[in-house]
Amino acid sequence: MIKTRNLKKSFDTVKVINNINFELKPGECVAVIGPSGSGKSTFLRLINRLETPTSGEVYYGSQLITDKNIRLIRRKIGMVFQHFNLINNLTVLENLTLAPTSLRLLSDKAAEEKAFSLLRRIGLYNKRDSYPSSLSGGQQQRVAIIRALMLDPEVLLFDEPTSALDPEMIGEVLDLIRDVLKDGMTAIIVTHEINFAKEVASRIVFIDNGRIVEEGTPNKFFTHPESPRVKDFLSKVL
Amino acid sequence: MNNFLQKILELFTTQDYINSFLRGFLLTLEISFFAIIIGLVLGTIIALIQTAKPSPWLVIPKFICKVYVTIIRGTPMALQLFIMFFIIFSIRNFPELVTAFLAFGLNSAAYTSEIIRGGILSVDKGQTEAGLALGLRPFTIFRKIVAPQTIKNSLPSLSNEIITVIKETAIVSMIGMYDLNMAAKDIGSGQNMSSYIVPMVVAALFYLAVIYLISFAIRKLEKRLRKHD
Repeated sequence: MIKTRNLKKSFDTVKVINNINFELKPGECVAVIGPSGSGKSTFLRLINRLETPTSGEVYYGSQLITDKNIRLIRRKIGMVFQHFNLINNLTVLENLTLAPTSLRLLSDKAAEEKAFSLLRRIGLYNKRDSYPSSLSGGQQQRVAIIRALMLDPEVLLFDEPTSALDPEMIGEVLDLIRDVLKDGMTAIIVTHEINFAKEVASRIVFIDNGRIVEEGTPNKFFTHPESPRVKDFLSKVL
Repeated sequence: MNNFLQKILELFTTQDYINSFLRGFLLTLEISFFAIIIGLVLGTIIALIQTAKPSPWLVIPKFICKVYVTIIRGTPMALQLFIMFFIIFSIRNFPELVTAFLAFGLNSAAYTSEIIRGGILSVDKGQTEAGLALGLRPFTIFRKIVAPQTIKNSLPSLSNEIITVIKETAIVSMIGMYDLNMAAKDIGSGQNMSSYIVPMVVAALFYLAVIYLISFAIRKLEKRLRKHD
């Protein structure tokens, strides 16, 4: 579904992503873990071209992603950010309906109906006319997740969705992600929540220094890691 | 004291004086109004060019904008007015009102562009990225996300700039135009030093009233735009 080939990204002279070959199959949920600054987030942002590769290619299905076709492809790739990135000057409801109505995928009425039903699902229907600043971090992130669902994406990208949250709000966000993923949603999730990764992922990818150091099923990855780098990392976080 | 009150009474009962004041006040308003409009429109255009993503098409426009802002901000307003009046628009019969509001408008545009540029840059990058990730067109992102937040961010400084323009127009009296400032001087002249006091205080009150009204209106607008903070 998504494939990267010899993907590289440098910021000035710093190589952040150094030759990543990766493939995501439909129905898979890949958790990307690794130390801070290893390039995990950049890797995710390269997939929907929020960062432009220095070299190498990203494919969506069989389609090579370019500056020209990315806008249409982004409709199929939902993204959830570390800092939620709800639009400050729009209400919760407007945040949800903005994309489907601007892109003329749904009528105003249909978009509203869809937003209402998603808001009810996360228990924030009564916040529909509030502005993001009046919501807690956990509430904002849950709205951001259903905003990504408004376009019925084929893939979801989660960029450290709980890293900016207060500890007591992490649970509600993870619950929602778990709920979204349980129907076989294809997803890539960059996270520091090792236990959550172990639970929801069908494959773990460990990135360090811009390279995939090791990958495998959660079971194999966590119980029989091969590379010393992963062993060292796991001994510190588990 | 009696004499002073008499002067005030005289000022408000002599038709000539009233006419002079109104004439001056009207000119001040006219110059200010057009100058502010030019400043806002041109300033916004300059800011958009300066903050646009680098591209080969924009190398020269970006350079021109930078030079323009540097020159305008680096030279005195009064000198710019003189240059416009005595050199660039010294053509016979060219309306001096137009020269005046162009001079102030072109000056204000440089400052306004910096205010709006700062406003655009202060919009969190994540806001734009959210729009991009949803597949929105750059223009939609600008119109629905960046522009409203820029306006909100820039409003306090824009209010300040508008006030500055109105007050600064008083220097048109230096090139002999009959604005509010000139009217005060004219009404007070020909008698003695003390005769200047009353018309000048009255002119000051006129300026104050206009500026108070404008800052009040903008403050209201600001409050409305801040409802989502």
